[in-house]
Amino acid sequence: MIAAPPKTLPLSEIYTPATQADLAETVRAAYAARTPIYPLGGGTALSYGLAAKMPGWGLSTASLNKVVDYPARDLTITVEAGITIAELQKVLAAEGQHLPVDVAQPDVATLGGAIAVNMSGPRRYGHGTLRDYVIGITAVDGRGQEFHAGGRVVKNVAGYDFCKLLVGSLGTLAVVTQLTLKVKPVPMSAAWLAVDTTTFEQAEITLAAVAASRTTPTAVEFLAGSGWNGEADDIGGELSESAGRVLIGFEGTAAETGWITSKLQEELSGPQRMRVFAEGAASAALLARLTSFGCEASSAASPLVLKCNVRPSRLMELVAEVRKLFPSAGLLAHAANGILLVRFDGTSTIHDIAKSLLGVLQPLASKCGGQCVVWNSPAPEDLTRAVCWGPARESDVALRRVKQTFDPHGILNPGRFIY
Amino acid sequence: MHAFSAKPNPGAGIDYELFLDCVHCGLCTASCPTYVVTGNENDSPRGRIYLMRSVTDGRLPLNNQVREHLELCLDCRACETACPSGVQYGKLIEPFRIAMDQAHDGDRAPHDWFHKYVLFGLFPHPKRLRWALLPAKLAQRFGILRGMEKLGLMRMLPQRLRQLVYTLPEKLPSEPALPEFLPAIGRRRARVALFTGCVNDVMFRHTNWATARVLQQNGCDVIVPRDQACCGAIHFHAGASDPARRLVDANVKSFAEVDRVIVNVAGCGAMLKDIGHHWHDDAAADRTALAAKTRDINEFLDELGLIQPEGEINLTATYHDACHLGHAQKIREQPRKLLATIPGLKLVDLPETELCCGAAGTYNLTQPEMSAILSRRKLDNILSTGARAVLTANAGCLLQIAREARVRREPLWIAHPIDLLDLSYRKEKPPV
Amino acid sequence: MIASRFPSLLAELRRLLGDDHLLANHSEMVVYECDGFTIEKNCPDVVCFPRHTADVQRIVQLCNEYDVPYLPRGAGTSLAGGCLPVGGGVLIVFTRMKAIEEINLRDRYAVVQPGVVNVWLTNALKGTGFHYAPDPSSQGACTIGGNVATNSGGPHTLKYGVTVNHVLGVEAVLTDGSVVRFGGPAEDYVGPDLVGLLVGSEGTLAVVTKVWVRLTRDPQAYRTMLGIFDSVDAATQAISEIIGQGIVPAALEMMDQGILIALEQAFQFGFPLDAQAILLIELDGLEAGLDEQRDRVVALCQAAGAREVRRADDPKERLKLWKCRKQAFGAIGRLSPSYCTQDGVVPRTKLPHIFRRITEIGETYGVRIVNVFHAGDGNIHPIVLFDERVPSQVKAALDASGEILEECIACGGSVTGEHGIGVEKIPFMAKLFTPGDLDVMARVRDAFNADGRLSPGKLLPTAAGCGAEHKPHGAAVPTVERSHPGRRAAL
Ligand SMILES: Cc1cc2nc3c(=O)[nH]c(=O)nc-3n(C[C@H](O)[C@H](O)[C@H](O)COP(=O)(O)OP(=O)(O)OC[C@H]3O[C@@H](n4cnc5c(N)ncnc54)[C@H](O)[C@@H]3O)c2cc1C
Ligand code: SF4
Ligand code: SF4
Repeated sequence: MIAAPPKTLPLSEIYTPATQADLAETVRAAYAARTPIYPLGGGTALSYGLAAKMPGWGLSTASLNKVVDYPARDLTITVEAGITIAELQKVLAAEGQHLPVDVAQPDVATLGGAIAVNMSGPRRYGHGTLRDYVIGITAVDGRGQEFHAGGRVVKNVAGYDFCKLLVGSLGTLAVVTQLTLKVKPVPMSAAWLAVDTTTFEQAEITLAAVAASRTTPTAVEFLAGSGWNGEADDIGGELSESAGRVLIGFEGTAAETGWITSKLQEELSGPQRMRVFAEGAASAALLARLTSFGCEASSAASPLVLKCNVRPSRLMELVAEVRKLFPSAGLLAHAANGILLVRFDGTSTIHDIAKSLLGVLQPLASKCGGQCVVWNSPAPEDLTRAVCWGPARESDVALRRVKQTFDPHGILNPGRFIY
Repeated sequence: MHAFSAKPNPGAGIDYELFLDCVHCGLCTASCPTYVVTGNENDSPRGRIYLMRSVTDGRLPLNNQVREHLELCLDCRACETACPSGVQYGKLIEPFRIAMDQAHDGDRAPHDWFHKYVLFGLFPHPKRLRWALLPAKLAQRFGILRGMEKLGLMRMLPQRLRQLVYTLPEKLPSEPALPEFLPAIGRRRARVALFTGCVNDVMFRHTNWATARVLQQNGCDVIVPRDQACCGAIHFHAGASDPARRLVDANVKSFAEVDRVIVNVAGCGAMLKDIGHHWHDDAAADRTALAAKTRDINEFLDELGLIQPEGEINLTATYHDACHLGHAQKIREQPRKLLATIPGLKLVDLPETELCCGAAGTYNLTQPEMSAILSRRKLDNILSTGARAVLTANAGCLLQIAREARVRREPLWIAHPIDLLDLSYRKEKPPV
Repeated sequence: MIASRFPSLLAELRRLLGDDHLLANHSEMVVYECDGFTIEKNCPDVVCFPRHTADVQRIVQLCNEYDVPYLPRGAGTSLAGGCLPVGGGVLIVFTRMKAIEEINLRDRYAVVQPGVVNVWLTNALKGTGFHYAPDPSSQGACTIGGNVATNSGGPHTLKYGVTVNHVLGVEAVLTDGSVVRFGGPAEDYVGPDLVGLLVGSEGTLAVVTKVWVRLTRDPQAYRTMLGIFDSVDAATQAISEIIGQGIVPAALEMMDQGILIALEQAFQFGFPLDAQAILLIELDGLEAGLDEQRDRVVALCQAAGAREVRRADDPKERLKLWKCRKQAFGAIGRLSPSYCTQDGVVPRTKLPHIFRRITEIGETYGVRIVNVFHAGDGNIHPIVLFDERVPSQVKAALDASGEILEECIACGGSVTGEHGIGVEKIPFMAKLFTPGDLDVMARVRDAFNADGRLSPGKLLPTAAGCGAEHKPHGAAVPTVERSHPGRRAAL
């Protein structure tokens, strides 16, 4: 099932193969006809990347949604790529297990899609990202050749690790059809600590203290700017637009979360206002709210969102700059990972921000060790490669060579990434 | 059987099984000081075993390259500590080097002037050494050495002699010789003989005195046989097997009457404990007996049960594991335990404590470059701890570290752990 | 073929590196003819010790100019022949690129050159509250470059993940001689995860010259236990129960009686020698939660039939226990004149099964097999004992090993959990992967290493899938001298 009809894609046809073999067959046909293929998962991230210009076929994994094998006592699961995140989590929950990676719109987002865009959320600090969980993969390359890598065991170094390679590959190297994941037991309890900060310096001091903490947070978030109020209770109280808030999430046994709560407050003691909230079920609701920040479709159109990745210690420098440039934007950072999402209200367009993006943010992000890209755009056709993906990188040449290997005719999501 | 020359193969006398113990896993490499410095597999234990075995098998000639890599070995035995397979590296390199010297192909004099006059002529003979050092002593007294240094005159000395002069301690001791017998203080718990060493008794006679006093304090009658000889390690490690054996056999006689021989120089202790294996003749059993009753002072006091010293010493110190104590005799905990009993002493960990300081017997004289690199590294590590004193239980290490500290003008106190224990018993303070 | 071009290449290398950073004399290169895998040997034509990335880059360019194969080497502890100079050529040894360039605790990363020995980084971090998590048993000697190339694991990678989970970025010299950075000090660079591809590629795609590694906060506390069992079956059941209950210990290792006897001889730890198997279980994390977890583990062990669960919480005892465990392979020399060890992986619930099969296979072939497992990962290291002087035993040992690995594949597992394919396990690739899989892998290798000069003859079968010939055309025909190294060589 596709959430929104993919208006943004020039599709002449949408195929929904019933089996992995059928899917490979379809790609082979497209390869022979040199017809572009746009793999479709849940359709939640189709506004990521440049506009698709060449007409082609949509290839939906909606029917590939089976659980292939779930040896729960091995803490691994093998599923087809079209399974939704919610369905996957439901199957795992029956055994007291979960995949501790946050994906927005889990009811529609598919595992394959999440892998293609390397979805992540607050818990990446404590649990890592999808690349840390995929231990086996089956995919179909741009020639319609099915291939596997990894396996069903948690430790394995035989052959090249395509499990990692395909994470974040934006559907440009292969169509993922099946995955084996490592999973984890669900923790017994969870809670959050909110720390309000009035200056960026203060926020950095708090974040540095958390990085050196004896406790073991699973999430360290920073919130600022617009868009946070309204459902104020969810995020630890009203957040004035001039202030920032560090949210620290943690989990474990009741004894552990209890200890973390008091230890953290002791370590962070200072002038800031602190409180513990979102214990138990409320924690999950808060996680969902934070996770959907970059993706939630507001009533009108999906919002324009930028994503920056920098060294965590430089994050506040970037935040300060963004606040200066775009005072009305909303900000969410997976702060301990150095990842910042900037969300604009419905009226801003890429034209309004392109100059600041190219002239200020991209250079600053690169100075801080990372990048700044457009994560979600309501009007992909307005994007240029430089605006969307930033300046060329040293590794692009190698990347193009890999692309050529997997997709010699360039039929997988053509023109949407740097190739 | 030697594929490259008619001379006897230096590996011929080695039990081939000892080579086979090495499974070539490489776990020893990074603990080898020379490999850590050069990064060359040929300078690693695994590489050296491979070289020796290749020569033994006739796959490689014993040429200068092979020799150099084997000669660069410190014989510090860090590799034996690291090796899980129990490879007895010392039993490979020592006989191989001896045979190598004997089989030398004429491209280098086996015992050059330095070996002949300085190493073999002076070192094993405390009396001669004292005389020989007299000018140096006088020179020190009148500041002549420092003056020469300033004027750059030192550079006119042959390099290795210069090394030797540099290594001399600031002040040669002027204590009298130890008496032949020192009685136990308090209840008598043991009767032991003290091995005084050759270099040691000249340069560290105060440590011999301290050792005797600490033993007395711990209820030991201490016998100091007058006719004892040098342990023979210098000769043995330099490949002069016969002179070494003669010295060892002299000691077998000197220490025949006692059932514990206490050694405070790790190098001598390691040699004495090893003498049972070196020569396979009629006297082997007697040598094995001497080896069996040899104890390092730290080891002995720990076995005996130390009587708590009472003098407080407020000092931050660090302990350097002498190779011949840590690696060769596996004595690591005992000195630390003894030092921990001293009231007020704060002992801090030394990074890379297991890495050789570059003294390694006469290595600082024969391989000055590598030796200098290692002693620099050792002092850097010591300084990084912030300690004001370094304790180590081997004469060579004491000289080496002291020299490095002196050259770099670092005000460190370098002493034997027993020196510090002795001060504590006597309720005196160290000079820092 | 190389011989004619060689003198001028050598002259150029000398000009670049000087005599101090190069070996070209046969008697100094013999030690580089093999690594921890000693069955196959071949001397390189020249050994280079680059000082910095620019040296590596120039060496690669020269190898291209003169059409000579080259390959990187770290400490040479590979157990799969990863450093075997197949076809000779230039060996690039990283032991002089050993600087820890940066340690950044705030951003939790360190930048190291590839020749840094794994444990040096850990030592450098002592007292900071952080460590580098991957801890292969060879960590005292192996280099981080080698770890990255083989995606090394270790006992504590059960909880913390293997090398790839701790590498943020690499700088590499590609085969065209360019220097390229992949990833870096931040997370989530956009696009396919090339860092993830390069890690574990066993030096067949690029030469790594710098690594950004993730640093991990030290755990607050440990609980270390020894579960003592009267049957191997009960011990493997306990492992399966512990994992099945959702407890992820920091480490969960199993040793059977055979290995215990050897370890006891070597280290006198005080293992009960009448026990059939011992589980070494370590929990770590917050003090607040550990006792509860330990009680659960103890109860599970007892329910599975443990005779006793001993605590080993004293830090000294804990260190000694880990030393015993990490040196287990080496101690085998005390049991048997020769041994060979395998590195298979099975799903954790299949551990009881694979154990029974190993025993049966040992009986069938008449060889003794002792076991030390990274049990929590399902990574088995059966050690087959034999006497290499008896040819029938050698054959029996090899056949038994092969059958064990086949069984791992049949269980849905793998033939290598951490040592890599190298030259040793190439024959198994076709059993693990389809021709289609191998074809894609070969194409990826060609995308990075089109001329096949970089580390030829490794990882992939030469003729991979679909009848395509992937023989490196630039390289000389691989010639390998086969001779037996030592009576205890790991085969
Ligand atoms: C006793 C023993 C125990 C071991 N235990 C473990 C264990 O617990 N876990 C584990 O995973 N492994 C283990 N190993 C295997 C081995 O130690 C690891 O594979 C280790 O990572 C190799 O590191 P090295 O520096 O020795 O690499 P080398 O052996 O020198 O090289 C290994 C491979 O990496 C390539 N390589 C080296 N440097 C580079 C570079 N800079 N760029 C590109 N490629 C490069 C080489 O070409 C080769 O293919 C063990 C080995 C031994 C002998
Ligand atoms: S004795 Fe010392 S220098 Fe010689 S190989 Fe062993 S560790 Fe290296
Ligand atoms: S000496 Fe020991 S540690 Fe070194 S390679 Fe040989 S077996 Fe391994």
